[in-house]
Amino acid sequence: MKILIIEDEKELSESIAAYLKGQNYICEIAADFNKAIEKTELYDYDCILLDITLPGGSGLEILKELKANNKLDGVLIISAKNSLDDKVTGLTLGADDYLAKPFHLSELSARVAAIIRRKNFDGSDILNFQNISIDTRAKTVLVNDKPLELTKKEYELLLYFISNKKKVISKNAIAEHLWGDDMQGNNDFIYTHIKNLRKKLMEAGDADYIKSVYGMGYKFSV
Amino acid sequence: MKLLAKYNRVNVVATIIVLLLSAVIYYFFIEKTLVYQLDKNLVVEEKEIKDYIIENNALPEPSYSKDEQEVYTSVTDKNVKRSFSSVELYNKDHDENIDYRQLEFPVTVNGKFYKADVRKSQEETEDVVQLILKITLTIVLLLLAILFIINRFVLSKLWKPFNSTLEQIKQFNVSGKDNIHFEPSNINEFTELNAAVNVMTKKAIGDYNEIKSFTENASHEIQTPLAIIRSKLELLSQSENLKEEQMNAIQSISETTSRLSKLNQSLILLTKIDNRQFKETEDVNLSVLLHRHLNNYEELLNAKGIVTTKNIAEPVFVTMNETLAETLIVNLLTNAIKHNVEKGSITITLNEHALSISNTGKALNENPAIYFERFKKESASNDSMGLGLSIVKKICDTYHFTISYTHQNMMHTVTVNF
Repeated sequence: MKILIIEDEKELSESIAAYLKGQNYICEIAADFNKAIEKTELYDYDCILLDITLPGGSGLEILKELKANNKLDGVLIISAKNSLDDKVTGLTLGADDYLAKPFHLSELSARVAAIIRRKNFDGSDILNFQNISIDTRAKTVLVNDKPLELTKKEYELLLYFISNKKKVISKNAIAEHLWGDDMQGNNDFIYTHIKNLRKKLMEAGDADYIKSVYGMGYKFSV
Repeated sequence: MKLLAKYNRVNVVATIIVLLLSAVIYYFFIEKTLVYQLDKNLVVEEKEIKDYIIENNALPEPSYSKDEQEVYTSVTDKNVKRSFSSVELYNKDHDENIDYRQLEFPVTVNGKFYKADVRKSQEETEDVVQLILKITLTIVLLLLAILFIINRFVLSKLWKPFNSTLEQIKQFNVSGKDNIHFEPSNINEFTELNAAVNVMTKKAIGDYNEIKSFTENASHEIQTPLAIIRSKLELLSQSENLKEEQMNAIQSISETTSRLSKLNQSLILLTKIDNRQFKETEDVNLSVLLHRHLNNYEELLNAKGIVTTKNIAEPVFVTMNETLAETLIVNLLTNAIKHNVEKGSITITLNEHALSISNTGKALNENPAIYFERFKKESASNDSMGLGLSIVKKICDTYHFTISYTHQNMMHTVTVNF
């Protein structure tokens, strides 16, 4: 999976690249408008992370260019301008999703995974982790080939964990993912959901993949 | 009071005073002139009588008409003084009192002393006074009529450019795209006013756009470093072999970053609402919005054992900006959830006139009004920014909704009346 990060803040693009590399993505970085145009014209990417405010031009222009050239790259706008206009314009121009800064890297990774799944580049809607198998189209989960009944939030939580496997995810990031950023700060709310998900997975005969990381959050790993 | 009415009132009062004053002055001068004329006539009469006596050595026939009278009275005292006076005498023929101007003088006929009284009626003077009064009244009435006509037809036309400018100013929206168009006027004051308003509105629009872009830029400038901090922290938290205190520190920095980011977003939102940047309105179906968000929190509510009671009429449409409607509902709902207690309850009532959300919760220590102000929060124990209710209040103010808070039987209720 190839990802292009169009972002002028070097520190941020490097963090994103470092995180996504851990998820087995190949990341390239374009730090300005011209570089971005050059790369998008030469190569195809599974997903492009696109900042709107760039030296040399607007990210929205790059998006227009992509669409004009019938490029199939998935586009996730990452913008600090959390303004409705940009969001609406971006999505109308054909971006797949919009994420306002500052975002959690785990959220970004989940969104990227969702875009790539939707674009169906690897020809599969099935997500596998050990003996867990998620059909993201039908939104069903199989554990050891047996269906597992999950509530909506538990399903979202599992998907979020698998999109960020082997990574420590903060409670804040989980709360924000499940209920939006207005529920931030009440991290005890997520505890019940995690407890239930863990219980269901273990009852289905799986190992306990959800590891509690002291003080920081949770990690989904073998 | 309208400027015109005030101006007219002053004008009419002043004119009437001047007219009355001039009527009085007229009266005195004309009376004086007429009396002087009468006196001259009386002197002529006197001379005629005296001549007659010298010629005929007898008194002339006394006359007693309404207009003119000559009366002779025999007197013993020869010291009758010659004098003019005004008298009022009863006239038998006309059965009325009539004012006369009279000249009294002594005459001697055959050694006998007489007092002669020559009188002339002053009725003419009275006629003149009446005439003056009538003319004055007519002028006053005429003046009022003219003022009325001027007000009705001329002045309203004259003030039309002013009223049009006023209307434009009332309609003026600093975030609006279209500029103000003034009706051309050849009256200096109005042209000047229009020019001044033009300069002012241009400046207001300029300032507004500057603030708008500043808000956007401030958001950008602050959110980007926050994004870097957050990403570095998340990378750092992936490191193996972190010590307990390091993990605590990472967690603490991460939460503070979230707070700072949320605070920044809330302030930007408040500023944007203040600047009327959410001006697109539509008929928002609040029932659908409420259901959608309640659905999002359903599992959370179940997990906390919070019972929800919904009295949601549908559909309920409110004309407002959709983003703000969503912000309003999310803020109220999350407040009711965050400040709830284990196994508590939430009651949501929505009808055409009001949205009311009640929740169980601990009693508040302070006056509820302050929660609608910025940066007020009940306790330091939770991480809510204390901006949620100010945002709600600001949204309500924008659409002239009234918002109220009550606390009864351990239930906190926030009601928004549309």
